[in-house]
Amino acid sequence: MATARILVIDDEYGVRSGIRQILEMEGYEVEEAATGKEAMTLLHSSEYDVAFLDYRLPDIDGLTILQMIRQDELEIMTCMITAYANIDTAIAATRQGVDFFLPKPFLPDDLLGVTETLVRHKQARSEAERLRKEHEAGLLALAEEKTQTHSLISSLRDAVLVVNKDGNVVLVNRAMAAILDLPDDETAPRPAADLLGAGPLASLVEQLAAPQKDRTIGQLSLGERSFMTSIVTFRDDDGQALGRILTLSDISQVRRLAMEKERFIRTMVHELKSPLGAIRSLIEVATDKSLGDNLDSYLPMLQRAEGRIDNLVQLIGDLLSLSRSEQTESRGELELLAIEPAVTGALRLQAERIAAGRIVVHTDLEAGLPPILASSDDLDLIMSNLIGNAVKYNRDGGRLEVRARHIGEWVRIDVKDTGIGIAEENLDLVLTEFFREKRSETRDVEGSGLGLSIVKRLVERAGGRLEVASIQGEGSTFSVLLPA
Amino acid sequence: MSSQWSILFVDDDRDFLDAQAAYFSSRGHTVHTAESSREALDLIETTIPDIIFLDLMIEHYDSGFRLAYQIRRHEHLDNTPVVLLTGVARETGERFDQEDEGLPRWSRLDRFVDKPVTGRQLLGIAEELLAAKGDQGA
Repeated sequence: MATARILVIDDEYGVRSGIRQILEMEGYEVEEAATGKEAMTLLHSSEYDVAFLDYRLPDIDGLTILQMIRQDELEIMTCMITAYANIDTAIAATRQGVDFFLPKPFLPDDLLGVTETLVRHKQARSEAERLRKEHEAGLLALAEEKTQTHSLISSLRDAVLVVNKDGNVVLVNRAMAAILDLPDDETAPRPAADLLGAGPLASLVEQLAAPQKDRTIGQLSLGERSFMTSIVTFRDDDGQALGRILTLSDISQVRRLAMEKERFIRTMVHELKSPLGAIRSLIEVATDKSLGDNLDSYLPMLQRAEGRIDNLVQLIGDLLSLSRSEQTESRGELELLAIEPAVTGALRLQAERIAAGRIVVHTDLEAGLPPILASSDDLDLIMSNLIGNAVKYNRDGGRLEVRARHIGEWVRIDVKDTGIGIAEENLDLVLTEFFREKRSETRDVEGSGLGLSIVKRLVERAGGRLEVASIQGEGSTFSVLLPA
Repeated sequence: MSSQWSILFVDDDRDFLDAQAAYFSSRGHTVHTAESSREALDLIETTIPDIIFLDLMIEHYDSGFRLAYQIRRHEHLDNTPVVLLTGVARETGERFDQEDEGLPRWSRLDRFVDKPVTGRQLLGIAEELLAAKGDQGA
C-alpha cells in the first residue's frame, strides 16, 4: 500500500498541499499538478495509481482530463474533487469513467478511506490486466503450438486421418491425401463416408464410425503396398469420445523381409529334411536286413549315409557362416592382410581333390600387391569357397587359375576354372541362397548352395564386390574386388 | 493281383531311390527308379507299374503334380495308384492343403505322404492302395 503513487491535480495550492501532507503521512508518494497541461505531461511521463482531480482547472477542465485518460488507456484510478458538487457534474464525470467522487470540503479520514479503496481497486485491476495479458500470451502460444502440431502431423510418414464425433473428417495429412488422391492436406470437414466411400479405404468407413471401440488394428493392401491400419478413439479428460484417428503405416518393406525370411526357412527345412530322409532310408535297408545277413553288403549304403551326414554337417556350418556374414560387423578383428597366404591356404585344403581330378593349378599374384583390410577368417572363407568351387565344378584334368592384380583403388582376384560353367539364365541366380543348377553334370557334386551367398556378403562387408562371368561348358571366372 | 508288384519311384535323390530299391526288391517286388520327370515318362512307355511313388519337388517345387498329370494321360496308367511324397508340404501350406478334400480329385493323386518316410510306411501304403484297387476290380 505504501508504495502507491498519487497525483493531485488542483489549481489551488492549499488543496494540493493539504492532500499531499495527509497522504504522505500515510506513506503514499504524492506529486502535484496545478494545471491540466501539467497534469497531462506528468500522466504521460510517469505511472500513477490514483489521480485526484479538480473539476475546474485554469486551462482544461477535469472532464477533459478524464477523457484523455480514457482515450490513452492509462491505467489509473480517478477521483473527482469539487466544491461544485451537483448531479450534473457527477453524471458527466461518471460518463467519462471517473471512479470516485469526493466533494469539498472533506475530512482527512474521508480522503484516506477513498485513497485506500482506490489503491486496492487499482491493484486488483492491474492484477486482472496482468492475468488477461498472460492469458492472451497463452492463447498465442497455444495457437503456435497448434500450427506446429499440424505441420508435424502433416509431415508424418504415416498417413493420418481424423474424424470428429459427428463423423466428419477434420484432418487429413499429406501422406493420407496422397493415398486418397486429394489435392492437398487441407480439407473442409465432410462426412467420412463421402470422402472414403468410393476410394481405397472404403472398407474402413464402418470401423471409423464405431467410437465405442477404443482401438481397431488391421491390415490393408493397396496395390503393391501393405499397410497396418490403426483406428483409435480419442477422448477428453472426462472420457467423452471426441472422434477417431485413423493411421496407416506402410509395412511393405517389413512384409517383404518377412516373406523372404519365410521362404529361406522353408527352403532350409527342405534342404535339411532331404538328406535326413535319404539317411533314414539307407539305414533302414540295414536294419531291415534287406540285403541278407552279410554285413559287407551294407557297407556301400552305410558309407553313403555317412557322406550325407558329412554334407549335413557342412550345411549347418554354412548356415552359421551365412548368418554371421549377415551381421554388419565382422567377428574377427580387421587387419591389413596379404592375399597370398589365403590363396595358398585354400589351395592346400583342396590338395587331395586337385590331385584326384588331376587339375593343373596356376597362380599369378602380382608382385607388390597392397594388403587389404579385412578379417582373416573372412578372407580365408572367401578364398576357400571360390577355390573349392573351381575344383568341384572343374573337369578331370582341367585348369584352375588364381590371378591377383592391383587396379587403381582395387585389388582384383580372379578365380578361373575350365569346368562345366553356368547356364546364362542362371548367372544372376547363382548368388542366391540354396540355388544349385540341376544338370546331369552337377548331379554328383555335393554342396549346400550357400557358398556363393556367403562369399558375396563377406566381400560386400569388406567394402568390395563379387563378379561372375561364365560360359556353359567352358568354365567360370569369379572375381573379387576389394579396396586396396 | 499277385503279391509281387512292379513299383516306380521318381525322386531326384539317388540314395533314397537305391535304398527303396533294396528294401522292396528284397521282398520280391520289381523296382524301377527315375531321377527326373523325363526319365519317368520314358520308362512308362515300356513298363506298366502297379504303383507309383513321386517326389513333389523333382525339378521344380511342383514338378510332381505335373508329372502325375502326364502319367494319368497314359491309358494303361489311368487307374494306377499314384502317391505323392512331399518334403515341404507341411511347411508351405500355401501351395496346397493336404487336408483339402477336393485335392485328390483335382490332382487325381491317391495319397500324400510327408517326407522323410520309411520303406515300411511306403509298403503299408502300397498294400492298402493295391488291396482297395483289387477289391474294386473284383
